[in-house]
Amino acid sequence: MDVNMINPILCAFAEIIPQIGFQTVQKKNLSLVGPTFTYDGVLINLSVIGPIKGVIMIGMDNDSAKRFASKMMMGMEVVEFDKLAQSAVSEMGNMVCANACTQYSKIGVTGLDISPPILMIGQGGQATLPVPQTIVIHFLVDDINIKVYVGLV
Amino acid sequence: MSVKVMVMDDSPFSRMMISEALTENGYEVVGEVDTLEDLLETYATCKPDLVTMDIAMPGADGFECSRELRMHDPKAKIILVSSMKDEETEAEAKRIGVSGYIQKPIDAETLVKVINNIMSPDSLYEKLMERGFDTFKEALAQNVTRMAKTPVAFTEMGITDDPYMSQGITTVIGIIGQSTGTMIMDLSIESAEKIAEAILRRPAKNRDEVLAMVSELANIIAGIACSMLNKKEKAFSLRVSPPSLFHGNTAEITSPSVKIHQFLAATDFGDIFLGVGFKKGSVLWM
Repeated sequence: MDVNMINPILCAFAEIIPQIGFQTVQKKNLSLVGPTFTYDGVLINLSVIGPIKGVIMIGMDNDSAKRFASKMMMGMEVVEFDKLAQSAVSEMGNMVCANACTQYSKIGVTGLDISPPILMIGQGGQATLPVPQTIVIHFLVDDINIKVYVGLV
Repeated sequence: MSVKVMVMDDSPFSRMMISEALTENGYEVVGEVDTLEDLLETYATCKPDLVTMDIAMPGADGFECSRELRMHDPKAKIILVSSMKDEETEAEAKRIGVSGYIQKPIDAETLVKVINNIMSPDSLYEKLMERGFDTFKEALAQNVTRMAKTPVAFTEMGITDDPYMSQGITTVIGIIGQSTGTMIMDLSIESAEKIAEAILRRPAKNRDEVLAMVSELANIIAGIACSMLNKKEKAFSLRVSPPSLFHGNTAEITSPSVKIHQFLAATDFGDIFLGVGFKKGSVLWM
C-alpha cells in the first residue's frame, strides 16, 4: 500500500477525535511492519470492503482504553473495561473508519464500506492482517497512546 | 392503505411514465412537480410517503431539491430516478440521505421492489436473520467435511453480546451489503493442527502453515455462505472482507454493536466456534 493512501485515515482521526471529548491529537510516528504484530490490551477490528480492502485496527492498552472511554463519557469513572466502555471505544473506531471512507471518496476512492467493530481484549496476543505489510500510526490523544494499524490493498 | 407518492421530474413524458408505473402497481400518485418551489409547497399539502426525484433539471437539480426537502422534513423518503447513475452520483445521493436510486428507463418490477424495501426496510433484514445463520452453518459443515473429511454436529450457544474466550486462533471476517455483519471462527491450535494435517495429508510444517489454513478455511466458509445467500435473494448484495487472524495468547472477543449468534461445531478434530451477526444496513439501491 502506498503510504500516502493513509492520509484519509489521518484526516478522519484528526476530524473525529476532537468531536468526542479530546483536546489534542498528535501524530507521533509512523512505521511499516509485516502482517503480524503483538498487541497488549484492546484491539478494535474494522474490516474495509470496496475498491481497496483489508482492515483497520485501533489498539491501546487496558488502562488507556479505560481512560479513553472515560473521556468519551464526559469524565465518568471507568473502573472496569465493561460493556459500556467497550461500546464507547468501538463507536470511536466506527466513527473514525466511517469518516475515513468519506475522506477516501474525496480523493476518488468511492464505494468503500466498513463492517461492525469487533474487539479483541488480551495480553501478548498476535494479530495477522491479510496484507503483506501493515502501516502503524502512533497517535497521542491528549495523554493517551493509541496505535492505528492499517492493512489495506 | 396505498402508499402515497409524489413525482418530481422536469419532463412531462417521464412524469407520465413514472406515474403510470406507480398507479398500475397500486400506488397513489398524490402530486407531480417540476420546480423546487412547487416541490416544497406540494409536499406540505399532499404529505406523500415518498418522492421520486429526477437529477438533471433546469434550475435546482435533484440533489439540491433532495437536500432542501430533507432540510424541510428530515424524514422525507426520496428515490432518485435518473438516467445518470455512477459512483459519484451514488456517493452524493448517499451523503444527502436518499433512500433509493433507480436508473431510467424505469423497470416497474425494480420500482416496486425498491418502494417495498423503503416502506418496510426490515423485511430484507428479517429474511437475512431467518436464513443467514443456517446458511453459514451449512457452509461450514459442507467445507469442513469436504476438506478435512470429518462429520460436523452443531450445538447452538445462543444469541449474545457477551464475550467469547478464544480457544487459540480467531478469524474475523467483515461482511457488507444490504446489512453489515461479521463472521467469527475460533478453534484451538491443536484442532487447527489436526485439521491442517487432514487437509494436507501430512503434518503442517510450521505454525504459519496452520494459520494460513485457518484463514483460508474461514475465507471459504464466509465467501460461500454469502454467495449462497445472494443467490437466494439478490438484494442482500453481501460481500466479505479478507480475514483478520488473532492468535498467540488467549483473548476475549466481543462485538459491542451486533449481537452474535454463536454455534459450536463438533468435529473429529475438536470443536470449531462459529459466530455470525448482522445489523440493519441501508435500504435497497438498484
